[in-house]
Amino acid sequence: MKNRSGLTALRSCTLCLCVLLVSCSSIPMPSFLRNPAAEAVVYALGPRDGFTSPLNGSLKPACPALTFESTNFHLTSAHQEALHGLAQEMLKNKKARLLIAGYTPPNLPPDHARSLSERRALAVRQHLIELGLESANLQTVGFGNDFSPSGPSSDVVAVYRQN
Amino acid sequence: MNARALLLILPLFLCYGTRAEAGVLDKMRGWMGLGGKSRAEEAKKIMPRIQVGTFSGGTGTSAQQTLRQELLDSREFFVADAAEKADYIVDGTSSGGRVTGKLRDAKGKEIFQRSYAAPGLDENLKALTDDVIYTITGRPGLATSRIVFVSDVSGKRQIYVCDAEGGELHQVTHDKNGAVSPSLSPDSSMIAFTSYRSGFPIIRLLDLNLGWERGVTDTPGSSFGSAFSPDGTHLAAVMSFIGNPEIFVSDLNTNTAACVSDSVGAPSSPSWHPDGHQLVFSSDDGDGPKLFVVEVPKKVGDASRLFRWRTGYHFCTDPEWSPDGRHIAFTTRTSGEWTVAIKPYPNGGVHVVQAGGAEHPSWSPNGHFITYVQHGELFVHDLRSGNRRSILRGYGRITEPRWMR
Repeated sequence: MKNRSGLTALRSCTLCLCVLLVSCSSIPMPSFLRNPAAEAVVYALGPRDGFTSPLNGSLKPACPALTFESTNFHLTSAHQEALHGLAQEMLKNKKARLLIAGYTPPNLPPDHARSLSERRALAVRQHLIELGLESANLQTVGFGNDFSPSGPSSDVVAVYRQN
Repeated sequence: MNARALLLILPLFLCYGTRAEAGVLDKMRGWMGLGGKSRAEEAKKIMPRIQVGTFSGGTGTSAQQTLRQELLDSREFFVADAAEKADYIVDGTSSGGRVTGKLRDAKGKEIFQRSYAAPGLDENLKALTDDVIYTITGRPGLATSRIVFVSDVSGKRQIYVCDAEGGELHQVTHDKNGAVSPSLSPDSSMIAFTSYRSGFPIIRLLDLNLGWERGVTDTPGSSFGSAFSPDGTHLAAVMSFIGNPEIFVSDLNTNTAACVSDSVGAPSSPSWHPDGHQLVFSSDDGDGPKLFVVEVPKKVGDASRLFRWRTGYHFCTDPEWSPDGRHIAFTTRTSGEWTVAIKPYPNGGVHVVQAGGAEHPSWSPNGHFITYVQHGELFVHDLRSGNRRSILRGYGRITEPRWMR
C-alpha cells in the first residue's frame, strides 16, 4: 500500500516537473539563482607594453598570494578582504600598475590548468576594478603549472607590482 | 529535443529509476532498432592480401625484407608468401638506399610506380609503405607520421617530435623560458605552440621544412591550446584579451580572429571535427571541466550553436575528435586517477582505454591507435587489440602529445 502511494506521489512529482520544464522559458530566474559572473561588465585587457613578467626578473608581490582550492575560481571573503586592503593602498597612486599571475598545482591537465589560472587572475582583476582601480593598469597572465611560484602553495594567484 | 519529446522521455527515466548516463541512449537505440553495425558485421571485413616481390639492385634484398616487416607492422594487410595468392604485389629496385616501388594488382595491372630518394633506405621504405597503405585502404599510414610532445628533459619545457615508434627524436624549440601546448598542421609541415620567450604566453608558428617562425597572437592575457583546422588554414585557440578566456578561430591567411564560445568559465583544449565545421572543447564553470561542442560559423555574422556534450563523467578535459569524426577521446578521472576514455559521437557508451594515470589522448591518423602519457611516459595503444607499448620513457616528464592529423 505504502509502495503504491509512493509511486503515485513520484508520478505526480514527475508530472509537475515536466510542466515546470515546459513552462520554464517564460518564468524569470530568481535573483539568488542567477550567476553573478555572467552579468558582470567585463573589461578588456589594455596593451601589455611596459609590463615585466616574473619569468624575466624578480618582482615584488603587492600582497600575500591568494590561495584557491579545487577547480574554483570564485573569490572568497578572505580574498576580497586582502584585495580591499591592496586597493586602498593602490588608490593613493593612480599610476601604479599590477600584474596578476595565476598558477596551479602540477597534478592538473596542462591546458586546463592554464585556462583555470588565467580565469582566477581575471576574477582578481575584475574585483580590483570594482574597488576603483583603473582597468588599463591591471594585466593578467595564466601560467597554469608551466612554472611554479615562490611560496608554499602552488594553487595561487600572485599580484606583482610593476615599476 | 522539443518540450513534448522531453515530456515523454522524462517519466520513462524516472519511473524505471534509470540514471541518465552514457550508454542509456544506446540501449534505447537498440530497443528501437536503430543500433549500429553488429560485431559479426565488423568481423566480416577481410584484410587485403599483399605480396612483397623481388627488389633488384645493391640494397634490394634489404629493401624487400624491411618493406615486408613494415607492411606486417602496419596490420593493414595479410602479407602473403611468394607461393601464395595475393590481391596486390609490390616490387621494384633499390640501390644506394634509393627505392623505386611498383604496386600492381592481382592481374598484373600497374597501380603506381614511384621513386623515393631521401637520404636513407628506411626513410624511403616508410614513405613507400604509407603510399601503399593509402592507395589500397584509403587511410593514411603511420610509418611517416609524427608525434609532437612537450618534455622537461632539458630543464625547461620544450617541444620535441618523434615518429610513431619513438624514433627519429629531435627538439624543435629552444625558447628562453620554454614552449608548450603544441599542435601539428595536417601535413606535418608546421607546428603551432605557446611560447614563453617574451615572459608571456603567446602563440607562434614554426615551419619545420623552411625553418621560419612567426607570431600568431601577441594579445594581452594568455594564449594557448592551439589546434589546426583539418584544411590547415585556421587555428582554434584560447585567448583572454577580451577579459574572459574564450575559444577563438584565427584565419592564418588574413590574421583575423573570431570568438566562437560564450563562456563565463575556463575553456581549454579545442579540437576540430574532421569536417572543419565543429569544435569540441573543455570548459570549467567552477564545478569541474565538462565538454562542449560549438559550430564554427561559415562566414561573419552567421549564428553558431553551442551545447554541452554529456559523457557521464564530471571531470573531462583534452577532448580530441577521431579522424572519422565518429568518436571523441578525452581525459577524465576514475578512482581519483587520470583515465583516457573514448565515447562515440553524438551518442554511445564510454569505453575506458587506460586508467591509472593515463592522460591527454591523441588519435593516430588512421584512427586505429591512440597515444597518451602516463606518469611522464609516452604510450601508443592499439584500439583493435587493446595492446599498448611504451615508445618513450626516461626522457624527462613528457606531456601534451599530439599525433599528426
